[in-house]
Amino acid sequence: MKRFLFLIFALVCTLSAGYSQRVISGTVTDAAGQALIGANVIAKEATAIGTITDVDGNFSLKVPAEVTAFVISYAGYETQEVVLGTSNSIKVTLNEGKLLEEVVVTALGISRKEKSLGYSVSQVEASALKEKAEPDLLKTLQGRVAGVDIRTSQGAPGSATRIQIRGNSSFGLETQPLIIVDGVPYSNEQVNTSSQTSGGGAYGSGIAGLDPNDIESFNILKGAAAAAIYGSRASRGVVIITTKSGSSKKRDGVRVNFRTSYAIENVANLPSYQNSYGTGSNFTYANANGSWGPKFGTIDSIPAWPEYLAAYPELFSKTGKTPFRAYPDNVKNLFRTGNVLENSIGVEGGSGATSFGITASTLSHNGYIENSSYKRNNFGIGGSTKIWDRLTVGGNLSYMRGNQTGGFYGENQVGGASSQFARSLFLGRNWNLELPYEDAAGKPLIPNGGSQFDNPYWAALNNVVNSIDERVILGTRLRLDLHKNLALNYNVGSNLYTLNRSEVTQELSRAANGLGRIIDDKFKNREIESTLTLSYNNQLNEDFDLNVNVGHNVNQRETERFTNQGLDFVVPKIYSLKNTATQAFLEDTQSKRRLMGVFGEVGLGYKNFAYLNVGGRNDWSSTLPKENRSYFYPAVSGSLIVSELVKLDVLSYAKLRAGWAKVGNDAPPYRTQDVFIIDENFKGVPRITRSTNTNDPNLSPEFTTELELGAELKFFNNRVGIDFTWYDKKTTDLIYNISVPNSTGYETFTTNVGEISNKGVEIGFNAIPLLTENFEWNIGAAFTKNKNLVVSLADGLERVQLNGVLSELSPYLEPGLPFGYLRGTKVVRDNAGNPLINPATGGMIVADEQGIIGDPNPEFKLGLTTGIRYKNLFLNGLFDYTKGGDIYSVTISSLLGRGVTLDTEDREGGFIIPGNYANPTDLKSGEPLLVDGQPVANHTVLTLNDLYFSPNATTGATFAINTANEWNVYDATVFRLRELTLGYNLPSNLFGFKYFKGGTLSLSGRNLWFFAPNVPKHTNFDPEVNSFGATTTQGIELSAAPTTRRFAVNLNINF
Amino acid sequence: MYKNKILFIALLFFITSCNDFFDVNNNPNDPTSSPLSSLLTSSQRNIADGLSIGSSSEGGIGAVLATYNHQMSTREESDQYSVNGNEFYLNQTWTTFFREALVDLDAIIAQGTENKNLTYVGVAKILKAYSFSQMVDVFGDVPFTEFNNFKTTRAPKFDDDAAIYAQLLAMLTEGINDIDNDKSTAALKPSKDDLIYNGSAAKWKKAANTIKLKLYNQIRDVQDVKAEVMLLLSEPSSLINKEDESFLLPYGPLAATDDRHPGFGDYTATQRSNHISPWFYEILKGYNQFIYTGISDPRLPYYVYNQLTPSGAAPNTTEYRDGGFISIYFGSVGPFRDGSQQNAISLFGIYPVGGRYDDGLGGTASAASGTGAAPYRFVTYADRLFIEAELIQAGVVSGNVDAVFASAVTAAFSQVDYVVKSFVKPTQTVPALAGTSAATAYITSVTDLFNSASSVKKLEYIMTQKWLSNVGTTVDQYTDYRRTGFPLLFDPKNPDMAPGGFVKSNAPGSTVNVPVQLSNSFPSSLPWPTAELEKNANAPTQKDPAQYKIFWQK
Repeated sequence: MKRFLFLIFALVCTLSAGYSQRVISGTVTDAAGQALIGANVIAKEATAIGTITDVDGNFSLKVPAEVTAFVISYAGYETQEVVLGTSNSIKVTLNEGKLLEEVVVTALGISRKEKSLGYSVSQVEASALKEKAEPDLLKTLQGRVAGVDIRTSQGAPGSATRIQIRGNSSFGLETQPLIIVDGVPYSNEQVNTSSQTSGGGAYGSGIAGLDPNDIESFNILKGAAAAAIYGSRASRGVVIITTKSGSSKKRDGVRVNFRTSYAIENVANLPSYQNSYGTGSNFTYANANGSWGPKFGTIDSIPAWPEYLAAYPELFSKTGKTPFRAYPDNVKNLFRTGNVLENSIGVEGGSGATSFGITASTLSHNGYIENSSYKRNNFGIGGSTKIWDRLTVGGNLSYMRGNQTGGFYGENQVGGASSQFARSLFLGRNWNLELPYEDAAGKPLIPNGGSQFDNPYWAALNNVVNSIDERVILGTRLRLDLHKNLALNYNVGSNLYTLNRSEVTQELSRAANGLGRIIDDKFKNREIESTLTLSYNNQLNEDFDLNVNVGHNVNQRETERFTNQGLDFVVPKIYSLKNTATQAFLEDTQSKRRLMGVFGEVGLGYKNFAYLNVGGRNDWSSTLPKENRSYFYPAVSGSLIVSELVKLDVLSYAKLRAGWAKVGNDAPPYRTQDVFIIDENFKGVPRITRSTNTNDPNLSPEFTTELELGAELKFFNNRVGIDFTWYDKKTTDLIYNISVPNSTGYETFTTNVGEISNKGVEIGFNAIPLLTENFEWNIGAAFTKNKNLVVSLADGLERVQLNGVLSELSPYLEPGLPFGYLRGTKVVRDNAGNPLINPATGGMIVADEQGIIGDPNPEFKLGLTTGIRYKNLFLNGLFDYTKGGDIYSVTISSLLGRGVTLDTEDREGGFIIPGNYANPTDLKSGEPLLVDGQPVANHTVLTLNDLYFSPNATTGATFAINTANEWNVYDATVFRLRELTLGYNLPSNLFGFKYFKGGTLSLSGRNLWFFAPNVPKHTNFDPEVNSFGATTTQGIELSAAPTTRRFAVNLNINF
Repeated sequence: MYKNKILFIALLFFITSCNDFFDVNNNPNDPTSSPLSSLLTSSQRNIADGLSIGSSSEGGIGAVLATYNHQMSTREESDQYSVNGNEFYLNQTWTTFFREALVDLDAIIAQGTENKNLTYVGVAKILKAYSFSQMVDVFGDVPFTEFNNFKTTRAPKFDDDAAIYAQLLAMLTEGINDIDNDKSTAALKPSKDDLIYNGSAAKWKKAANTIKLKLYNQIRDVQDVKAEVMLLLSEPSSLINKEDESFLLPYGPLAATDDRHPGFGDYTATQRSNHISPWFYEILKGYNQFIYTGISDPRLPYYVYNQLTPSGAAPNTTEYRDGGFISIYFGSVGPFRDGSQQNAISLFGIYPVGGRYDDGLGGTASAASGTGAAPYRFVTYADRLFIEAELIQAGVVSGNVDAVFASAVTAAFSQVDYVVKSFVKPTQTVPALAGTSAATAYITSVTDLFNSASSVKKLEYIMTQKWLSNVGTTVDQYTDYRRTGFPLLFDPKNPDMAPGGFVKSNAPGSTVNVPVQLSNSFPSSLPWPTAELEKNANAPTQKDPAQYKIFWQK
């Protein structure tokens, strides 16, 4: 490895140019004299030489003597060619353009004229990703891009974020987009060590390692037509990221950018607690979890909590009593104020045909949860140069190291689990958590004892998940200009990812038998990608231009995983496997897969207004049976620039586009042979059992076909723009482990089944309602609506469980229903659908059959952005709205069921569940009790306690705790002021210091306000949380850490 | 490493359709076949796991049936007899049997038959017959003929329970014959991989014959089994005839691997839910007003462990307490049922789950309380004697029922010592039970009662003693009750047991009255797992567990 690094360094460091040169400086403004920031200035004769204007519209560029003219361009303006005279200083005024020549990066990094594309490509400004007090790149994209659904998971630092483009299009294969960083696929796995149902960590996903400071450009290819050429992973969309170090952009001179940001964070949404009643049930005191006991003031004192009394008798009165009073801030005081500190320095520069970029960043995020943090260091370096007239060479190296520390989360009631949030948000209102959290022996203490949960302070300090991940990306690029129209590009790179995780459960925890446990998880992923492309571009005649790309692509992916568990620490506080009494190998696996593809595409343009692209790719995959290994898929797209045909004053630009493509996808490795599984020894004797999965020897690729139609319209000199896309995407022959009846001897069968459909609409809108010399107001909107439907499954298969969560609640796939809909327990209803009431209990009856209880897929998402600038002062905001989607919430269920929030404060009096009595001789029949042939209305009175804590889990079910799952599902509609930034652009002359080239000082806030209208009011629950991170299990929250609110100050300066 | 990568990259250009390049899909992690020995160990453990009382995520239907048999009480679904097809432990048993234990046995039978390793084949057939018989006993019709034949049947039909039984009896004979026919010295023979009998062919045959005897006894109400039973009993040495011939799966301690009995899980559980039924406790104490009143059973400290001493303070008001014994009632709707008693409730002790022998000193249960190495007892020597007593009492065969009953009870006591000494190997000092004056006195009392009892009462005594002896082994208890109506079980609706809907503790000095309810009838079988019914197009519709009878029920 060292040798290879050395090569790269040598490459970058020996780049120099030795021509006779001069320095041209100048200013680029618009017709009104307004400086144009970021306008491209490129030497006409040597396109490798160029720069962009700074915040004052100024540029300075060193050029060789043979350069006679500059080509100056700016999006939305007419491109101008300026002939260089003898003067080294030029002034350029660009006119607002009617003819856009916007260029976008498409598949394989090929730049294409925007108007020639028959599909939608979204570009996100790199600047939009910064100054948001958000270390997670994906989270900064929320609400900004139509068609992209980004979901957060937990409020713990470093926890995963899920990104999805145009819906779920696979049952069992990855459904998040392919991420390409500097030409190399970037693995974005979430490695789960322990089940997140029963106490796993808030695991992160791979993309968290990307440094937002190092982003040069961010493009999203949403549909199959755009992405097909990327091959088997493109059906789910592609995110193409170019880093500053990996960019081939021409740069001149040296620019240094320094950024620093400091944020503080708090829980965004603590519930509003009642402080009138203490623990117990039905107004009687008990040392219980529920705050359903007597009113404060009605009794003076209660027996001191036994565990505390036994450990610290001196803290209580001699009678062993403690006052019966509320501790209103006992939950709030569990949390601290977190902070995020981020520093980054970037150096970019170049000369002639040589350029380089270096970025180094460091991030330190301490969460609001005790002992939770995420630290990240990034370093990237890269450059390119022309080593021969026709040969350009580039290379880059980036290194990331992340370090995440946090606790265990998950369902609080699963035996043997220790969720740090098991009771944190539902503490008994009279519990004093300021008392010592452990006894002299280090055993955690809780008020109601019996190891029902670990004291949250103790858990934070003692039960710790630490994940260290490292990534090295190496890339090299070669470009050989064979002819003026013909170029050969070769891109080869590797992406090496390692994750080292240790999960420690301390001795005396309720988890791990109280013996202490360590799980060491080591994961490695190595990916190598090589792409060779031959490109031909030619203006054939006045009317036609042609471009052709053919290529060859090889990809190899290898993974390794070793997970070892040690149980029962021998010596306290030494957290190593060696220091445990018993050890087990939980995982010891490796995998390798290879894929090769050849592809080609032909693009033909006619008179700048009609374009047609035809392409295809054939893949060969190692993971499919020999006879099905090779598969071909085509793509066709076209665009028509209507505004070229019909000239209208208001309409500055109009484009219609259409694309159709098919993309094949291969299987995970090792799905062609049936196997036996080596089990843990039993009493020293080896055990092997047949795998519960059987494979289909005729496995074939799964295919996604997608049709997309779109229109782009710009009005009033491009001041208003609308981009509309409609798509219809179908995936068939899905490779999936369908569950089969256990009586077949198997649990699952890996085969091709079914069909899934995603249809949707994406609308992007932007407008600049006001624009004067000193004042600008812009607004934007991104609307995403995707309707997802599982069309069919295997024959005779009614439904399959997507992922197992709890035996009574899991996401499922079922024809006619959306992907991952939630299925769980429901109560018995009469013919009219009204719940029937058990006469014996006054509660409902839980039915034996599970049913549909929710759909986590939102109806639509809308993001609204706005920016106001007055001179150097600016204010940007992002508001978003998610309509619909359901969430199953253990937090809400527990808040209500434990009687701790203001929702349940008004509790005196009786309550009757509306409905009729069930037939008591057969409660589950769905038949009502008939007296004289008439149903009888329920008149059994329940206390509020019983109304939220079922008297009997199956035959006296009420709401919240111990009831059918359906009652704990809520509509996740949420309105949110996601971010607000107030900033000041520092003018370059601010300090009168010539090297200072301006900057920005800003204050930003994140997640400042939200409103979820359909959750119980005082729970203040934020439905954006999710317990399963970036996995396909969505809409389930099992005592997850709440979301955060942040305030930051950011400084960004350029030299 | 990097050299390889550079080589790899260089190679990319030269391979366009080279198949070797893609031949990397052979699974390097998992084998495509297994030695017979590893399959046998695996299946034996899975059978026991699938039947035993469990805790947390381990164990199987024992957790449900122990409540149905009124030896355990709990706040889970099995209280109120309301276990439905979604019940965790029910599914656990179904999946552990159908896609683990039984498929591994089938693999042994197929592979062993092909390679002429007939002892393995015979042992696998005996285990398979036993496993299926337990499935039939709780579920009735189950997939049998079309089970584990995925290539041809993806939705196995459910076979008639009576028809399955006939084939199981034949399979047991085949198993014995296979063992007898294994004359080859070259053939592989089970040894330490056979956790049950360490490769003893003779003991396997005894087990097979005793299972036959048990199955014939179970169907005696619906079929004339006289000839078969007489044949088996005529040669006692062909049956399990000593304690150490008992058919049982020994669990182990927490050693290099966690080999403990699933039921021991409650000692380390974060939410202990396996209470000891007060009904069971009061019978053992001699408090029960209907049976063995005043006769206290010295097996109690081996069966039940009290975390509290008689004077120890419970964290919340208790529902049922007698000295250190703390529990809740079946069907309780009392105000103190749900108070947490995590470190106060009494737990199954050293004999059923390898927990702690109750020396009266109390102490919070933990991993250190016991070894957890109690065996799961499929069919013991005592069971064989109780079956024999029942057959005589029922008039199927002739014999001296008093003598057989006495030896059965005596064997049941010896069985406790055998389990403690040979398997559990506790770190605490545990006194021997058999031969103590308390044991002798107890045996004398119950045999005296027996000898002078009426015919019906005799059957009740046999079944009650068998029930007492079988603590921890639940399927046969459940079967026995459904066949014979004995032992007497607690019924919240019975006005003698719970007058006015309140059950009163019979413990001396207790004044506690607890309201109890029951909204379901006693289930004459368990529901099929919903997951199976939903996925299997040929599955029947869900049964009403209270109505559905197993074929051997009158």
